[in-house]
Amino acid sequence: MPGTVLIVEDEFMIALDLQLLLERQGWRVIGPAATVASALQLLEDETPTVALLDVKLGGKLVTPVAESLRAQDVPFALTSAYEDPEQIAGKAVARAPNVGKPSTERRLLATLEKLAA
Amino acid sequence: MTHMEELYRILRNSHVQAQGIVDTVSEPLLVLDETLRVQTANRAFFETFQVDRDETIGQPLHELGNGQWNIADLQRLLVEVIPRAAAIINYEVEHEFPALGRRTMLLTARRLHHPDSPSRLMLLSILDVTERYQRDAAREMLFDELRHRMKNLLSVTQSIARQTSTENRTAEEYRDDFLGRFEALVDAQDLAFSDQGEGALSALVERVLMPYTPQPDAIVVESGSAIRLAPQTLQSLSLVLHELATNAAKYGALSVKGGTVRIGWQLEDNPSQLHLRWAENGGPPVTPPEDTGFGTRLIRAAIAYSLGGNVEQDYAEGGLVTQIVIPLGEAHVSR
Repeated sequence: MPGTVLIVEDEFMIALDLQLLLERQGWRVIGPAATVASALQLLEDETPTVALLDVKLGGKLVTPVAESLRAQDVPFALTSAYEDPEQIAGKAVARAPNVGKPSTERRLLATLEKLAA
Repeated sequence: MTHMEELYRILRNSHVQAQGIVDTVSEPLLVLDETLRVQTANRAFFETFQVDRDETIGQPLHELGNGQWNIADLQRLLVEVIPRAAAIINYEVEHEFPALGRRTMLLTARRLHHPDSPSRLMLLSILDVTERYQRDAAREMLFDELRHRMKNLLSVTQSIARQTSTENRTAEEYRDDFLGRFEALVDAQDLAFSDQGEGALSALVERVLMPYTPQPDAIVVESGSAIRLAPQTLQSLSLVLHELATNAAKYGALSVKGGTVRIGWQLEDNPSQLHLRWAENGGPPVTPPEDTGFGTRLIRAAIAYSLGGNVEQDYAEGGLVTQIVIPLGEAHVSR
């Protein structure tokens, strides 16, 4: 059992896809959350093993979610089409691995497993 | 004519020639002596930095224009670097000028040796690249945004390919299902960046439903309110309309002769919402699907998840009625 993963992604198609893909691999998915507010709400109820964050959610930055995860020592990866997410979302996402967008299944799973280890 | 007079004449001429050369250079140029006093400046210098000849020639560089050229980086360059290097090329300096604001300049300095004279002159050219850098930065941003959109679109396409069901489907059926959704994405892209303006939703409905019109009058589009939608909203609606249409063609009103679909929408204020209604009539008897297929999940997720809206599907006796409500925050309406 790999653990629990919070998915934060505003595009429904990608969110659904990530959810099904990770559930097939035995992850329990928290969310997915489409907004910063709903992601923070989910984090209040439960602390995930790892998290997967898109950088921009409906025009807003994911930064508060990243800060909350940092404060709780939850490792996270980014799923961003931006080359340099730190430039967009700031220090809170520095050094977080970016699996990119689109990402390959293998890269995504390997990154999450490494974060959870 | 004495030798002396001849010499003066030559010197005067060569000075005129030199000034001609200096003025021909299109970027601002200063000729400085070894104490960094301005010997000559060209027209481009006077024009670019809005100063006149009298307040420039003969002045020490750092006193020019009320000290606006008293730039630490530049002084260091001229005093320390130039005597040791033959030339400095395109040294970038940023400086706030009282009259011009913040400018970015590329400085090129070169020592001149006169074979017959120990005096050392220096050429200093100043290329104002502020606007060029701003244009480059704007272009870079636009390029980044385009690349970002393109990768997002590829990502959505990847998700559709992965989620379109393969269960009990032939390869050909899978391909058709996938391409149907893919075309809905293409339609949304075309309209999102075209000049449809407030007619975008009408145009989208027309385009997505066109392949599903088995006979004239099978699909009735009631003319709805003019509305300008954000690309994300158009994309979600396009996928939803495609699912509704393809389901109607397989199992619903568009699967039989004489069946009809009526589509209409309107805008409401307080709160600002888009109401869209899809009503089928004259099809085979309808029953709610036993398990929620990907199509149904897609419709719900597109409206509820990404757009924060609401979908109600009523499997009424006369035909399926789908009602969609989307809140129109600023994110959903194109600016």
